[in-house]
Amino acid sequence: MNERDQYKNRIELLQGTLDMLILQTLQWGPQHGYGIVQALRLRSGDVLQVETGSLYPALHRLERQSWVKSEWKQSEAKQRARYYRITAKGKKQLASDLGRWERIVEAIGSVMYVKPEECE
Amino acid sequence: MKWFPSFGFQRRKRELQEEIDAHLQMAIADRVARGETAETARQAAMREFGNIPLVQDVTRDTWGQAWLEQLGRDVRYALRQLRKSPGFTITATAMLAVAICANSTVFSWIDGTMLRPIPGARDTGDLVSLQRGERTFSPTPPFSYLDYRDLREQNHSFAGILAYHNDWTSLTGGAQPKPVYVANVSANYFDVLGIKPLLGRFFLPEEEARAIPNVVLSYSLWKTRYGKDPAIVGKSIEVARHPLTVIGVAPEGFVGAAPGLRDDLWITLNPLGTDVWRMTHRDSDWLIVIGRLRPGVSRGEAAQDLNILMHHIVAAYPDQHLGDNRITLDPMWRSPFGVNGYMAATLPILLAFAGVVLLLTSANVATLTLVRFVSRRRELAIRQSLGATRIQLVRQMMLEGALLSIVAGAVALLLTSWTSKTFAWFFPTNSIPLILNGSMDLKVVIGIAVFSMLAAMLCGALPAWRSSQAPAAEVLKAESASISGGSHNRKLLSGLVVAQIALSLPLLICSGLFLRTLRNLATANPGFEQDHILTASVGLNIAGYSNDEAQLIRHKILDRVSALPGVKVATLTDWIPMTLIQKRSDAYPEGYVPHPHESLLVEDAEVGPRYFESLHIPILEGREFTLNDDEKAPRVIIVNQTAARRYWPGQDPLGKRLRVSGSLFTVVGVARNSTQTFVNESPEPMVYLSIFQDPGNETIVQVKTDGNPVDLAPAVEHAIHEIDPRLPVFDVRSMRESTQMASSFAVIQSTLAGMFALIGLVLAVTGIYGVVAYRTQLRTHEIGIRMALGASRVDVLRLVLLQGVWLTGIGMALGLAFALGLTRLIARQLYGISAHDPVTMVSVIALLGAMSLLACYFPAHRAMRRNPLTAIREL
Repeated sequence: MNERDQYKNRIELLQGTLDMLILQTLQWGPQHGYGIVQALRLRSGDVLQVETGSLYPALHRLERQSWVKSEWKQSEAKQRARYYRITAKGKKQLASDLGRWERIVEAIGSVMYVKPEECE
Repeated sequence: MKWFPSFGFQRRKRELQEEIDAHLQMAIADRVARGETAETARQAAMREFGNIPLVQDVTRDTWGQAWLEQLGRDVRYALRQLRKSPGFTITATAMLAVAICANSTVFSWIDGTMLRPIPGARDTGDLVSLQRGERTFSPTPPFSYLDYRDLREQNHSFAGILAYHNDWTSLTGGAQPKPVYVANVSANYFDVLGIKPLLGRFFLPEEEARAIPNVVLSYSLWKTRYGKDPAIVGKSIEVARHPLTVIGVAPEGFVGAAPGLRDDLWITLNPLGTDVWRMTHRDSDWLIVIGRLRPGVSRGEAAQDLNILMHHIVAAYPDQHLGDNRITLDPMWRSPFGVNGYMAATLPILLAFAGVVLLLTSANVATLTLVRFVSRRRELAIRQSLGATRIQLVRQMMLEGALLSIVAGAVALLLTSWTSKTFAWFFPTNSIPLILNGSMDLKVVIGIAVFSMLAAMLCGALPAWRSSQAPAAEVLKAESASISGGSHNRKLLSGLVVAQIALSLPLLICSGLFLRTLRNLATANPGFEQDHILTASVGLNIAGYSNDEAQLIRHKILDRVSALPGVKVATLTDWIPMTLIQKRSDAYPEGYVPHPHESLLVEDAEVGPRYFESLHIPILEGREFTLNDDEKAPRVIIVNQTAARRYWPGQDPLGKRLRVSGSLFTVVGVARNSTQTFVNESPEPMVYLSIFQDPGNETIVQVKTDGNPVDLAPAVEHAIHEIDPRLPVFDVRSMRESTQMASSFAVIQSTLAGMFALIGLVLAVTGIYGVVAYRTQLRTHEIGIRMALGASRVDVLRLVLLQGVWLTGIGMALGLAFALGLTRLIARQLYGISAHDPVTMVSVIALLGAMSLLACYFPAHRAMRRNPLTAIREL
């Protein structure tokens, strides 16, 4: 398997989840790609390392679906960067993603935390 | 991406680059802020980011326009690859162009004839041609006027039914009468066809059967004879010495309702009031009828409708409808009236042949492509390990095939615009006003596009898929000498070679059969003399003479022409055999009870004294006509053997009586059968009448000469013009020339089949040469080792030859099976030879085998002559 396929698989695994994470990050305010990576790493306590090969395709796809909008702005460090901002449509999507996520977590949880006596 | 600038693609690409740069700058800045040096920070950030081009690539994929950019990139890459090997590119393009051109040429001929049966007419798909009675290749006009009118007025299936009758006449009034082909037409003729007048008007319903001398001119006649006179409508022109009023001009391109024939004038059914008999008699069948089906009505339903009507007509007038009266309908593309019947029997077979040539060529190009791809395996493997997917590689390689085919298609388009017009070459000048040619229209262009796409798929996809399956790592590891193409590719290459041989063998066999058919036709004895005979048409009937005047002139012509030096026999006829012209009448032998549905049609000819002598047709019993068999004498008739056997089996036909066109004739002679239309026909009953008792529509002077008949042509014309300088004399030519018409379809078939087979042979032989040479080259190292270990040169020769012989053998076995199926299709077109003729089969197999062996010998010879030492070193 080559590198490209690895990216593809990871995107598929994270599809939805990554979108949700990005949208959630943007809830706190417009952010550029590097900022999103940093924010996710910080918030997850260094657990979530988003690959750039997954992040940028995801951002561009979200923009295509009009869930985010982008514009070029100067950062505080005077670095010109592309900032992504969540749209109203994106917020709706985030809500539905979150709902689905919670259902999945609950479902997986109820499988994983079965009490021993219920198995008999 | 300068090719697609309008999509803002460049801008987006730049922005992505900038976005990634910004990402890196921020990452570096963070690291520097944490105390790393600029250089380590940069390296770490780059490492963290990953493969930048790949990130860009994957991101661009989400844009949706990516395929466009990829296509552009692939096209440029493919062009570069093709430029790198000009030998392959030129050979493959040329071969494909020839193969596509072969298909499109035949298709353009079909398009120009069968698919455009009536140029200018609306929706010819709804038109059907009516035939009554026995179905034949070239029937005579099937309907009388009254029957036609009943069918037209009582049917429920047709939007309209038209009728016409073609004949020769002449434009008089000028210095020299000009023979013109005229059609008597029903008043709705133009309406049913959907033709609008260019000038003036067409006929009105009330004019149809009345004696109103109106005429409609064809565009070409209006242009050539009347200089496009815009005020022609209302003027009077003289046709066969009768004044007719021009009421309209047909639009350019419309030439009449008989496919392949050109009308010059159209008149109503009885414009002069001279044809009362055939307007009022139900046994006078003289009209050809075409109907336009109502929307939603099928041919079968319409035929059923007409047959019910016909059944009533037959019941009401049984005496005028003896024999077979069933009506059958044909779509115009295979209408038996005009020339499409012949086209439908010839051209589709040729298109099938051309299709085989295209398959063969594609297999050949696929072989070349595969060989190229195998030698490009390292390149492909490198691209694959750099991140190209298999789909991308396949697409890339198919694109190379597609580019070749597109260029080949463009070349074929240019070629076809010329070759489509060569169809007319196959038809000798003849007394038939043929206008046959291919046409180069949108349908043909679409056809070329389809053929090219087919070729692209065949010659690109297969090798591409195959060669992209090799695992990249192994190819890169492997030494070039040890990869002799891999066993998959070797099998595919062998398969392609076998396919080429298997496809070329049937082509060769069919063309062999056609060529021998042509030779058999040329050497066949038609049963009459073809050499030393000159014929000349005299426009007696069309020049407007009365019957008596005409008979007097005929006598004078015989006297004068007979007296010419060099003339052995001079006679008259109204028909020349083997010219595709057939004349038929219903004949009712006295006392003969026809079988149910038996056709009573016989071929007939009106001939003069010594006709049989001039053509060397033996009179088996009785006598031939003399000058005494004129209008005052009892009506006499001569029949051929077939007629005698059918009507009076086991009896003496002499003295028997036969009713033809209303008069009773007594048989005075039996003539030996001779060819009527085609050498390979089964002889039909034929009757000969005396031209002085029953003058036909044509008067043809037939002269048997001592020397070359054409030398006498001026003298004969002069002699006729001495009688009356205004007599039109035309179609003066030797019998040999006239009868060539009968073999023109055989000539078309054998010429094209021969050309296709030659292409097939060359392709198959180069194909096997290419593969054997390539494989031998790959085995150079191995052969060197074998020779170093003691293999003799003969061993090497055998080694290489054997693989070629093996492939050829399998290919020929498959090809033979294929050929046995294919020859059955052409069996009807053959003459004097069986479709499974062993001599043809064996000689073709020997030819193909010898050529393949030769093709294998050269690489084998080269391998044998190698110095083992250099061969081993060569990796």
